[in-house]
Amino acid sequence: MATFVEQVREMGIKQAVVTKADEVVERVTAGMNINDVRAALRGDEPRRPNPRLRPHADGFWLHIRPSFYHTGVTNIYPTFRLGWLSTFMLIWETITGLILMVFYTPSPLVAYSNMWNILGNVPLGQLFRNMHRLGAEVMVLVVAMHMLRTFITGSYKKPRQFTWATGMLLLVFTIFLSFSGYLLPWDQLAYWALTVFISGGAAAPAPAFVNDTVLLVLQGGPALGANGLLRWYLLHVLLLPLLAGIFFFVHYYKVVLYGISLPPGREQIGEDTAKRVPQGERTYFIPDILTSELMWTALATLFLVAGALWLWDAPLETHADPVVTPLHVVAPWYLSWSQGWLKLAPKTAVVGFIPLLLVAFIVMPYFEVGKSRRYADRRVGLTVAMLFIAFMLVSNWMGSPEFRVTSSPDREVSIHLLPEEGPGGLKGIPFDHMTPGTYVPGQVIDGNPFLTRGLAVFEEAMHEQSCTLVGNEMWQECTVTTLESGAKSYSNRFTDVAMPDPVATLEIVEIQPNLKEMTLHYQVADPENPNEMLIDTPWTAFRHAFSNYEEECQFLNKSCAIN
Amino acid sequence: MQIKIVIGTIAFMLTMMVFGYSALREPARLERFTNAELGRSIEAGGHIFANNCATCHGVDGTAEACFDAAGNQIACQGLPLNFNGLLCGEPSQRMTDMGWNGTKAAYVLTTVSAGRGPIMPTWSEQFGGPLREDQVRDVTNFVLNWESETLCAAPVITYDWPETADEFLARTDEVEPGDPTRGAELYALTYGCQACHGTLDGLVPAALGPSLLEIETDGATRVEGMDAATYVYHSILFPSDHIAPECPTGPCAGPPSAMPANFGARMGENPQDMADILAVLLGE
Ligand code: HEC
Ligand code: HEC
Ligand code: HEM
Repeated sequence: MATFVEQVREMGIKQAVVTKADEVVERVTAGMNINDVRAALRGDEPRRPNPRLRPHADGFWLHIRPSFYHTGVTNIYPTFRLGWLSTFMLIWETITGLILMVFYTPSPLVAYSNMWNILGNVPLGQLFRNMHRLGAEVMVLVVAMHMLRTFITGSYKKPRQFTWATGMLLLVFTIFLSFSGYLLPWDQLAYWALTVFISGGAAAPAPAFVNDTVLLVLQGGPALGANGLLRWYLLHVLLLPLLAGIFFFVHYYKVVLYGISLPPGREQIGEDTAKRVPQGERTYFIPDILTSELMWTALATLFLVAGALWLWDAPLETHADPVVTPLHVVAPWYLSWSQGWLKLAPKTAVVGFIPLLLVAFIVMPYFEVGKSRRYADRRVGLTVAMLFIAFMLVSNWMGSPEFRVTSSPDREVSIHLLPEEGPGGLKGIPFDHMTPGTYVPGQVIDGNPFLTRGLAVFEEAMHEQSCTLVGNEMWQECTVTTLESGAKSYSNRFTDVAMPDPVATLEIVEIQPNLKEMTLHYQVADPENPNEMLIDTPWTAFRHAFSNYEEECQFLNKSCAIN
Repeated sequence: MQIKIVIGTIAFMLTMMVFGYSALREPARLERFTNAELGRSIEAGGHIFANNCATCHGVDGTAEACFDAAGNQIACQGLPLNFNGLLCGEPSQRMTDMGWNGTKAAYVLTTVSAGRGPIMPTWSEQFGGPLREDQVRDVTNFVLNWESETLCAAPVITYDWPETADEFLARTDEVEPGDPTRGAELYALTYGCQACHGTLDGLVPAALGPSLLEIETDGATRVEGMDAATYVYHSILFPSDHIAPECPTGPCAGPPSAMPANFGARMGENPQDMADILAVLLGE
């Protein structure tokens, strides 16, 4: 071929540049020149031979993508774009995760301050943290929905059993990716969720030495510490992404090999026509699928960025403390069901059952060999699936913080108002409105709607935990029962361990510049013996002017009883 | 297809606008979070102080009101921390006295981390103490947060103490003759002298400072030209001026003295306390 200089001599500078540009574009796209690109964008018919197939044949990026789809699978139904969205989330998490990695060191000494550094020192750091963490939760949801859709449309059936099996592995990797990332901030939430789950995992129905070894390997020592954090970090950023990446390609290779299954009604029972696409039913990847995917990429990005900015805020609790167990250890929602199960069956049974269930799911398509993918022919299977989903939802609810064992009544009130973590009922009050003084539940403070609202919440919380023997209008009537030990127990509509005629106060004292101490004090005299106190406990929390709990109250996933 | 290109382009532009918007808010947000980190650290420090330090340094850090686990008042063994000599100025008076060249935060942090002397414990895990690094940082932030304009505006010593004990006791319009019974109470609890110097009946030996059982005779031998009364008087007001020779754990360290330097300020609010303590120590 002539050199550029020769071309300039031959056809003048303008024409030579155009020719050169054309050549470059053709190389970059592995086969389409400028005119071909423009024609594709305009939606024109391709020239013959079709240059739009060349990027699939010669290019690296598109060689795994099919060059055309059956038009029947390009609508929202039947895929709901969920497999695509799962892939998008995988890439999304990789990109945002790599950015966070730059600012993170997996050591208990600095991990937690790294998080504050990301929040307070890295421009857009909080946004990226929110994007990554929101993405992780969305990804679990999306993958589960994708699994549900492939089940409902019967796409796991022959010949796609193996696609389903690799999909199950991907589900497991996704959950573990999400969960292993949970530990990295090294706050109380992270530390105790992991501790509880690891110790659960080590309660398997296996010989003690096996369980002990598993525990030791997963914790990196007798308790989660520096070694454990490093291990979970490496799982999170190295091993699991690698496995997920590899199995994604296996999964997708199978999808391309068999073609995406048509809506069940569109083919004969027992036939698989996904690969036999008549000329008229073809939707070419370039330009239609490609533009569609680009559009969805832009939309999903917009949703995640906006959600991370305005709707949802990644939590960060206080520093992990191996000796202080929080009052409520909360599992991430996608694992709550397992905590629910622990309330139904012994731990060993539950821990033994989960892997069995997993295997059952993986091999299911090899045993469920009914020929028809049509809904009407699969009533039993679909019903079982719906029942299973209902069971999982109930289990999840049972494992959620709302369904928990309650502690003493005064603690319940304290936790509601001044929780160990987050704003709760009182810390969300703007600092300037926390006027020092002593207050009683339900008190109205003129000109201070925030404190008034806080004290109203105080009264509501007390109401649930209190009762009266002397007709005090503030509380419900007590039901008195005598226990076997001879002691009396007092109950109301909400609880069996109510406080009879309590005296409760909230005291606010400014103890340092910009630091206020809030003390809830409960005094309950024993009705049997008024000189004895049943309860006489203070509960103290500090609130600094800068701590900025108010801001936390603005997000969907953070509760703040004040609003 | 065209509509998809349009929607995609709009969504992309909106995303960029969201990024741009959040970038505009970023400086203010970063500052809020930097502050929140400090605020929450101080809050955590408040709990750590109440649980670990208040028994020696007092519930409000002034080493005036200390309680044991059962809630009974006991003598404070620690130095005042909510104290302008320690917290005001960079370097503060205390840092200059101790010959400390680093920052105030580092002074408090290292003292808390490593401990000092026979009573102030080692706190950092790094040196075998019970607290993690982050907890040491939290409680340090809490201690430093006592610095305030009010604290630093107050003069170190409010009362105009005369040169000698005799001159002081001669101010009969201000002080009555010393009451040893009240003095013993002040010695044991209010000022917590007992925590360092042992009980007056000699049953609990001195822990940090020298025993004061013989001070009415020893006192006269310490400094040329100072009688026992003036020596004790001066030692209470300005502990670092003269360092006693023998402490329970060996020669007394200093100057600066390990004895709190704020008794002059505290007693200035009620000079009668000085008279009463002198009465019980000197057996007058
Ligand atoms: C057992 C009693 C005791 C406890 C508990 C205690 N301290 Fe001390 N602290 C002392 C004594 C005594 C000194 C004086 C040591 C010296 O200079 O010899 C001291 C000195 C200090 C100093 C240096 C003050 C100065 O002016 O130089 C700081 C700061 C301090 N303590 C902070 C703390 C903190 C924070 C805690 C809780 C984590 C704590 N202390 C717990 C007894 C105690
Ligand atoms: C935190 C411990 C501590 C407390 C509390 C304390 N002292 Fe001391 N005191 C010392 C130490 C250490 C010395 C020795 C170093 C020096 O001479 O300054 C000392 C020295 C003295 C001396 C000189 C003793 C001598 O033998 O020369 C007198 C007098 C004295 N203290 C009186 C008091 C009185 C009175 C109080 C209470 C109002 C008190 N101290 C509270 C630690 C303490
Ligand atoms: C990280 C997780 C996953 C990714 C990235 C992923 C990706 C994909 C993609 C891109 C497709 C083709 C488009 C579509 O059908 O929507 C697909 C199809 C499929 N996936 Fe997944 N998937 C994942 C998890 C799963 C899971 C958990 C299952 C079920 C256990 C599963 C089962 C299937 C099946 C059976 C198909 C074939 C569907 C058909 O041919 O109609 N996948 N997957």
